[in-house]
Amino acid sequence: MLNRDTLGALIFLAFFTAYAVFAWQIPLLPFEEMDAVNSASIPKVYAVLGLIFSLLALLAQAIKRQHNRDAGWPQINRRSIGQTAILLLLMWVYTALLEPIGFLLATSAFLSAGFFIMGERRWRVLLLASVPVAVVFWLIMTKLLGIYLVPGELWS
Amino acid sequence: MLDGILLGLSTALQWQNLLYVIAGCFVGTFIGMLPGLGPITAIALMIPITYSIDPSSGMILMAGVYYGAIFGGSTSSILINAPGVAGTVASSFDGYPLAKQGMAGKALAIAAWASFTGGTIGALLLMLAAPTLAKVSLSFQSADYVALMCLGLTAIAAFSNKGTFLKAMMMTVFGLTLSTVGIDPSSGTERFTFGNTDLLDGISFLLIAMSTFALAEALSNVLKPEVKQANSEQPMQIGSIRLSKAEVKEISPAVGRSSILGFIIGVLPGAGATIASFMAYAAERNLAPKALQEKFGKGALRGLAAPESANNAACTGSFVPLLTLGIPGSGTTAIMLGALIAYGIQPGPMLMQDNPDVFWAVIISMYLGNIVLLILNLPLIPYLARVLIMPKAILTMMILFFSLIGVYLVSFNTFDLFMMIGFALVALVLRLLAFPMAPLLLGFILGDMIESNFRRAMMTSDGSLSIFWDKPLTLGIMLLAIVVLAMPLLSFLRLRKAALKQ
Repeated sequence: MLNRDTLGALIFLAFFTAYAVFAWQIPLLPFEEMDAVNSASIPKVYAVLGLIFSLLALLAQAIKRQHNRDAGWPQINRRSIGQTAILLLLMWVYTALLEPIGFLLATSAFLSAGFFIMGERRWRVLLLASVPVAVVFWLIMTKLLGIYLVPGELWS
Repeated sequence: MLDGILLGLSTALQWQNLLYVIAGCFVGTFIGMLPGLGPITAIALMIPITYSIDPSSGMILMAGVYYGAIFGGSTSSILINAPGVAGTVASSFDGYPLAKQGMAGKALAIAAWASFTGGTIGALLLMLAAPTLAKVSLSFQSADYVALMCLGLTAIAAFSNKGTFLKAMMMTVFGLTLSTVGIDPSSGTERFTFGNTDLLDGISFLLIAMSTFALAEALSNVLKPEVKQANSEQPMQIGSIRLSKAEVKEISPAVGRSSILGFIIGVLPGAGATIASFMAYAAERNLAPKALQEKFGKGALRGLAAPESANNAACTGSFVPLLTLGIPGSGTTAIMLGALIAYGIQPGPMLMQDNPDVFWAVIISMYLGNIVLLILNLPLIPYLARVLIMPKAILTMMILFFSLIGVYLVSFNTFDLFMMIGFALVALVLRLLAFPMAPLLLGFILGDMIESNFRRAMMTSDGSLSIFWDKPLTLGIMLLAIVVLAMPLLSFLRLRKAALKQ
């Protein structure tokens, strides 16, 4: 099994390779081509530095490997992974719905769904910790500070 | 300087700024007490609010949050042995044993007084050091700035935990690459936008800070629940918060030494509260007489006082490079720099002349912040400690909500929120792989500044790189950066040699 430091270095190696490919494709403006430093120079430097460091990290792992084979993976249970994934998805849905259905509705639904996912089952808590928060925040923003918050494009 | 102090006093003592200090310390303590949430998260959550107030008030608020978060971190270190902040880990060595012996109140009082003294001595030193250094740095040119920033970036990696140097460097470069997204300010060329108009402006720093710290910290608390939190459900015995004369006498020299040590370490780029507190702890243990030495780790008063005063002094010290050079040395000051730039204020040697109110108000607010922590937060600790029992579901969701809406209120663009969720996922994976996050933030913030200064330097030198070693000052800083870069390599080789010999 891959040790986690090796995996990290490999991920960065892949990222910096991709970055380097795009860095060498940055279109230059005509007048820039004669300049010593142009828009592509610094990204190229970063790409090379990134590649050097990720290769060094791989090399260090290859040397170290003879000594300790299993650099510990953290212990995480499945349920936590599931919860985290659903929370990320929930944030995505909230973002997608924020402008169409409006701040008040989206936020109340987001908060109560989140509490539910985190294991809160008392419906009173679910409601009391979500709707009032959304309403109070909305009142402070729109009435007190005069900041516009989307009322919902679907119904306006 | 007297004018400056008076100006700072008159700004910081305006009633709304006083309110900001108090609110900042309070909110900071609250967030800092929560295990897993650090000062960067606390400050990031404040930034959307600071956009609607003027710069000096905004900085005062953020500085208050910073001290509060460090103080709150000590509280959870002492009470439940779960430091919310890396800078207060050393405080739990002796603080938690004290609390277990039923002297939690005493431990908290020592922490508060030591922090207060450390912060105050730090603020005094800052007041003396900053204007002098600002005068010196007026003569700095673009090439010197590039060299200084290189030093800052390598230093934060070199001072990170043992064995994570390369990881920290990869994160630094990752941050630098992220800063190149968007229209290149000097030529107008589009870079890494992939035809997406939402990326033309680049990635906002608030987005990066919120997703890699606030979101990622809240989510990783869900992913890896802290076992220690279970302890907090038992009712806590705080005990008396009085200190006897003998106790004060015992800790005073330790506090004095650690404050000065902490301040100096805080000024250095890359090293911050964490290193300062560990060094002060180690130094006090070595300095202590034999009989006392054995008490360290089992509830020695000095063992608690030393890291507490050092980390607060270091927090203050880390403002020196930010205010005088405009170069942050830590993740926390990086985020403050981002906020200042958003105000259109360029920190650096000109800050004292262009915006003296900001400069001095921040310094004066440090004294106020320390006083607020002492007289307001200390008595409230037993009540604040109950916060730790607040349902985790509610806390996590509130942080997710405030992070998302905070970014939305600044950009009013849901594309930013989608990007934020993506970055939060990336940060979560990187955290699992044990990558440090602060170098990313620092690299991202310094990226733009390095590029523009580098191009300015190259323009003045007609495209010759020799500008980076022609002047002794530039050369000196450059060499220092290289030495810092080579240090971990040397220690790696030495370890390897020893391992091969066996």
